[in-house]
Amino acid sequence: MNAATLHPLARDYLKRLKKAAAVLPRARRGELLAEIESHLSEALPAGASETEALNVLERLGEPAEIVAEAGAGQAPTRAGPTEWFAIALLLVGGFLFLVGWVVGVVLLWSSTLWTLRDKLIGTLVLPGGLATSAFIFTFVGAGTGSGSGISGEHADYLTLVLFGLFGVFLVVLPILTAIYLSRQAKRAKVAT
Amino acid sequence: MQRIVDQGTLSQLRRGVIEYCVLALLRDGERYGFELVRTLSEVPGMVTSEGTLYPLLSRLRRAGVVETSWRESSSGPPRRYYRLTSSGRSVLEAFSGEWASFRNAVDHFLEQEKAV
Repeated sequence: MNAATLHPLARDYLKRLKKAAAVLPRARRGELLAEIESHLSEALPAGASETEALNVLERLGEPAEIVAEAGAGQAPTRAGPTEWFAIALLLVGGFLFLVGWVVGVVLLWSSTLWTLRDKLIGTLVLPGGLATSAFIFTFVGAGTGSGSGISGEHADYLTLVLFGLFGVFLVVLPILTAIYLSRQAKRAKVAT
Repeated sequence: MQRIVDQGTLSQLRRGVIEYCVLALLRDGERYGFELVRTLSEVPGMVTSEGTLYPLLSRLRRAGVVETSWRESSSGPPRRYYRLTSSGRSVLEAFSGEWASFRNAVDHFLEQEKAV
């Protein structure tokens, strides 16, 4: 069942299905794609005419429709302790020698509750969570502290305000991410 | 006539019974996915799109009423075979009984209306 032996239109269809199926849990996506690929190679010899191919694909239905059906029967998943643990670790796990945060990331990506977008946000804003904020804050803070003697009083005040805002921003970002993730986790009922 | 029947209701009805049609098709032995899907869709009025049957088959497998195995075929790509489990067989039997009385009840009212 090599993809290369499939009809070009069937290959194109599979590509669209794969894209549409991105919202499904991995195991279910794999199963669905394998079945449809098998169906296509059975129904559609590589040498079939375009009309035949279009007919087979029409009988099969739109990828979105099939994916919706695959999501429909799924038992509602609710945020369990794992999800809350993941959110907590992403936020403050970095203080545990960063290992806590890494565990948080693993939990985040292994949950079926969050979409790819949620997972990317959870991982990238900010890597390390509040520990990173604290690290940058003390590091930069120490830097400006030592530099205060050189620069003028006015400029010093401005940088202080800027770094203050930057610091607040750094602290607020991971907290916003945690709030976002918990909202998404609560909202997620069906993975469609 | 066809136009005033709510399509949503029809598709709900279909959705409700099609799983049992799959189980019934497997009563006499295993069949592979494509074979099942084609057999179902060749009866008019049962299936609107073949592709949606695969998620349904997957649900049946997860519910434990069918079990599956992929096997090589002599004439083409590997096929996934479906067969009834013992729990599937009892579900099918129970449904067959329920369905007969349900169908009779519906017929009873429909025929009555016609007679009036």
